[in-house]
Amino acid sequence: MSEKLIVSSSPHVGTTLTTKKIMLHVVIALSFCVVAGFFIYGLYSLLVVGVAVASAVGAETVYNLIAKKPNTINDCSAVVTGMILGLNMPPTVPIYVPIVGSIFAIIIVKMLFGGLGKNFANPAATARVFLLLSWTKQMTTFVNPVDYSLGGKEFLTGFIKGSIDAHVTGATPLAEIKSTAAIGSFDLNLLDLFLGKISGSIGEVCAIAIICALIYLLVFKIINWKIPTFYFISVALFTLAFYKNGYLYVLPSLLSGGVLFAGVFMLTDYASSPVTRWGVIVYAIGAGFMTVLIRRFGGFNEGASIAILLMNCLAPLIDKMCKEKPFGYRKPKKQRKGDKV
Amino acid sequence: MKLTFKRGIHPRGMKSLSKNCKFEEMPTGEKVYIPMAQHIGAPAINLLEPGDYVKVGTKIGEANGNVSANIHSSVSGKFINYVMRENPQGRRVCHAVIENDGLYEEEFLPPLVNPQKADIIKRVRDAGIVGMGGATFPTHIKLEASNDIKALIINGSECEPYITTDHRMMVDMADDVMKGIKHIQTALGAERVLIGIEANKPEAIKNMAEASKAYDDVTVYSLKTKYPQGGEKQLIYAMTREKVPNGGLPSDLGYIVLNISTAYAIYEAVDLGKPSFSRYMTISGKGIKRPANLHVRNGVPFQEVINYLGENPGYVKAVSGGPMMGVSLANLSAVVSKGTSALLLLNRDEIRKVEPTTCINCGRCAHACPIGLLPMMTDALILKGKVEEAKQYYPMSCIECGCCAYVCPAKRPLVQSQRLAKKMIREQGRK
Repeated sequence: MSEKLIVSSSPHVGTTLTTKKIMLHVVIALSFCVVAGFFIYGLYSLLVVGVAVASAVGAETVYNLIAKKPNTINDCSAVVTGMILGLNMPPTVPIYVPIVGSIFAIIIVKMLFGGLGKNFANPAATARVFLLLSWTKQMTTFVNPVDYSLGGKEFLTGFIKGSIDAHVTGATPLAEIKSTAAIGSFDLNLLDLFLGKISGSIGEVCAIAIICALIYLLVFKIINWKIPTFYFISVALFTLAFYKNGYLYVLPSLLSGGVLFAGVFMLTDYASSPVTRWGVIVYAIGAGFMTVLIRRFGGFNEGASIAILLMNCLAPLIDKMCKEKPFGYRKPKKQRKGDKV
Repeated sequence: MKLTFKRGIHPRGMKSLSKNCKFEEMPTGEKVYIPMAQHIGAPAINLLEPGDYVKVGTKIGEANGNVSANIHSSVSGKFINYVMRENPQGRRVCHAVIENDGLYEEEFLPPLVNPQKADIIKRVRDAGIVGMGGATFPTHIKLEASNDIKALIINGSECEPYITTDHRMMVDMADDVMKGIKHIQTALGAERVLIGIEANKPEAIKNMAEASKAYDDVTVYSLKTKYPQGGEKQLIYAMTREKVPNGGLPSDLGYIVLNISTAYAIYEAVDLGKPSFSRYMTISGKGIKRPANLHVRNGVPFQEVINYLGENPGYVKAVSGGPMMGVSLANLSAVVSKGTSALLLLNRDEIRKVEPTTCINCGRCAHACPIGLLPMMTDALILKGKVEEAKQYYPMSCIECGCCAYVCPAKRPLVQSQRLAKKMIREQGRK
């Protein structure tokens, strides 16, 4: 016998997938959106995402130090939270906003509830809603993409304070959709929506990048395909139902704002989404319904983050209701003494 | 449509290591240590006095009650004494030490010609045959307890990675396996026989179909290659779409499930008069120099088997049985017995990491569970001692197949938690 043998409970073999590898896959998928945002809005967007990531990782380190717990940044989940939050920012956002957002997401939403896997709500979505309520103006000031045909000066300088007014402050397609919803006609270029040549949050505008990320995540089986699929279907159907000439609005609704990004990266967050087979479908359809409801009738133009937050709160309940009976389950007739439970 | 069950996993098969190795006879050493409990149920009653001379096939242990099985000597020679040794589970049980004189004088039962139902059941009982897939449940009980049996189901799926014993048997000894199957059918009075074989064994499917050609009532099914296809509930569902009641047995639906090795053992007992004192098994894993399928006599220590094939240094885990449901060994002093379907030496890159991290609620375990449980919930609750709440996630229905722990990225010991939950619920019931 060579050396000491490992004795453990079965099974003795397993996948090579680990939590860290999952997180790294998500980071790779997110970086598609980072690259897209970089080209669309210039250098400053990279700074926003970078600062968000750095503050998220920093916040987790500091929390663990204070709480005297082993440092958990090695699992890379803080990087994911930071990236998602950074990509949720408008490209003009003052730099303190993502810093506060990341600290809020990590400390309040994630670590205080017990860290990775224990948070009831998606940290990035909660932080975004928190920032939206705290700095409404900064969080809703959008600009048009860098116009390379005019030399693309903004690419380097960014849309820093003072220069914003110099540019056309872009009304997002969502605002356009909202204001025309009752009329039933609008003027939007679908190709621009698809390529991301619109104003919006850094990571949300480029549909192609998000779709590539979705394919990547599905190929590596990182996310549950049911969540984005049923979410998109639900958004499409409820748009059809709630908007005048709804068929015109289906594609613009899906391609603009945070629907794609949220469906791929935020709704699929493990900790805050249901795990039962039917539960995920109920959850995704519910999120779609809430998104459209807020967009059409609510005060905000965008409803994805708030919808996610609401559904996160319902997730444990949905799981409870959708729990399956075990294979071959028969209703117990009468419990006799000594029966197996 | 492929015949299968819902969910489950696709582990790396690793069967090519030993798939094409024909059975070899493993030479037996100077002494054998035959455990007096090689089955589920009461240990057999010791029949020998030190100094007795025994032959190959001499009964050395008498079944103690109905849920028990006879034990036979695997060599001829002098019985030395009983000793307490560890079995693969690490429990100390009584072993009969017999000195092998190398003559292999035989004392078999008389072969049966045209046996009837009662003859076969009696022979299975006398020969001490137990479920040889690893469960080691005494087979005669399955044959006796069954009145209304619609069909006999033969499990040839061999879904555990690495193991190739049943595969080799179906390829090389299909006709004899078939004879055994027909004997079981007679004993049960079953109208039909369904043989389920995973699609990754085309040669076995072909040979078994060939062997069953003469019988109209035997059907060979090709099943989807998926783990745990050989779990009896999953196997029955795949072929018949019927669900064994939760907490019930296949016989509740009118089915009896036996595996290929058991059918072959019954053929040997009935047609050759050979009691169950040896078995065919797979020895594999990257820690084995020459992976093989061997015919080994009961009571041969694992170390001798490994010495025979040679070991590659650097293995970190030894497993008796399959890698999904087998037992990991603390040392190699335990012996081959009736239920030892395989012996594996695994390198570090083959095994699952054992250091768990926190659950991230990804749901992979729930999507893998063939029973439809939520293993992460049981795990979280039972580790906090919340037995009542854990009960609502049906740990009693768990078949311990290991799919949940196989897929877990946090490497949590989910099966162990299910076992713990079962144990705590049973203890609570006793209070």
